[in-house]
Amino acid sequence: MNTPSHTTDLQRLIAHTLRWGVTVACCIALCGGVLYLVRHGAEPMPDYRHFCYDSAATQHTEYTTLAGIWHGICAFTARSWIQLGVLVLLLTPLLRVLISLIGFLRERDWLYAAITAFVLSVIVLNSIGGC
Amino acid sequence: MTTLVFTFILLAASLLAGLVGALTGLGGGVVVIPVLTLGFGIDFHYAVGAALVASIATSSGSGSAYVREGITNIRLGMLLEIATTLGAVAGALVAVWLRSSVIAIIYGAVLLLTAAAQQRRCSDHDGVVGSAMARRLRLFGTYPQRDGTLKAYELRHVGGGFGVMLVAGVLSGILGIGSGVLKVIAMDGIMKVPFKVSTTTSNFMIGVTACASAVVYVQRGNIVPGIAFPVMIGVLIGALTGARLLHKLDVGLLRRIFCLVILAVAINMIYMGFTGGFEH
Repeated sequence: MNTPSHTTDLQRLIAHTLRWGVTVACCIALCGGVLYLVRHGAEPMPDYRHFCYDSAATQHTEYTTLAGIWHGICAFTARSWIQLGVLVLLLTPLLRVLISLIGFLRERDWLYAAITAFVLSVIVLNSIGGC
Repeated sequence: MTTLVFTFILLAASLLAGLVGALTGLGGGVVVIPVLTLGFGIDFHYAVGAALVASIATSSGSGSAYVREGITNIRLGMLLEIATTLGAVAGALVAVWLRSSVIAIIYGAVLLLTAAAQQRRCSDHDGVVGSAMARRLRLFGTYPQRDGTLKAYELRHVGGGFGVMLVAGVLSGILGIGSGVLKVIAMDGIMKVPFKVSTTTSNFMIGVTACASAVVYVQRGNIVPGIAFPVMIGVLIGALTGARLLHKLDVGLLRRIFCLVILAVAINMIYMGFTGGFEH
C-alpha cells in the first residue's frame, strides 16, 4: 500500500515542520509581546468588552491586513510583530497539508492528491476571498 | 487593571487551559473561551479569535509528536477535511450575523455534548469489518501498538462520518474551537476507527479546520495581538507539558472532576445566553 521509506521521510518532515513552525511563531510573538508590554504595559487594559464589526477591521489595519502588518513590521509596531507570529502559526497546518500533497503525488495516488489539492484550495481561496 | 497585569493573568490562565485541554483531550480552544468571556468579561467575538489561535497552537504543538509515531491516518483526515473546511468557511460566514448570546448558547450546547461524550469508554474497535466504500477509498490502515508491532484496522460508514464532520466544521467556523468532540463522535462512534487513531487524526484535522477560517477572522479584527500572544504562548507551553504528563498521571479522576466543571460552565453559558448576560 504505502511505500514505507517515503512515508517515514515525509512523517519526519511534517514533524520537523510543525515543531519549527510553532517555535518560530512563538519566538516572533514573544519578541512582539515584550515590545508591546514595554510600550503599553503601564496603560490601562484595552476595552475588549465590545466588539464592533464595522470598526474592528478598519481601525486597526496594523494587524488586520497583510499590507498593514508589513508596514507595521518595518515601523517596529509591537502589534504587527505579534500578528506576524500568529500568521506563522496559521501557516503550520497549511504547510502540513502541502507536504501531504507532495507525498500523495510522489506515491502517484492521484485520488488523494486531488482531495488534498481541493482542501488546500478551499483554505487559500477563503483566505484571499475575505480581503 | 493595567495591560501588564492583564497579560500575565491571561498567560497563566492560558497555560492552565492548555494543560487541562491536553490532559482531558479537549484541546486548548474550548477552555480558553470561558476564561475570556466569563472570567474577564471579554466580548465573545474576541474570545472566538483567541480560541482559533489556541486550537492551532495545540494541534501543531502536539501534532509533531503524534506524526512521528505514525498513528495519524492522513488519508482519512484529508478526506474528512473536505467536509470540515467547507463547513468552517460556511461557519465563518454565518458568524458575522450572530449575536454574542447566540454564540454562547451554541457553545454551551457543544459543551453539554462534550460532557456526555466524556462518559464513553474509549474502544479499539477490534474486528470491525470495513465497508466497500472505505476499501475503495483505501482508508484502512495500521497503527503501532505498545509492544512495537503494527495492528491493522478497518472502518465503515464513511458517508455518516462525513456528514457529522460537516457539522463539526460549521461549529468550528462559528466558535473557533476544534470541535474535537464531534470529530471523535464521527470517527470513533460512527466509523469505528480505533481510539488512538481517531484522537490523533482529529488533532491533525483541528489545525487544518481552524486554519480555514482563521485568516478571515484576522481580517475582520477578531484576532487581537494583545490577547493572541499570551494565549498562544500559554496554551502551547501548557499543552506540551500536559502531553508529557499524560503518560505519568492517572487522569481518570481529573476527567471526572473536569466533566462537572464543563457541565457547570455549559449551564452558565446557556443561562446567560438566554437572559442576555452577554449583551452589554
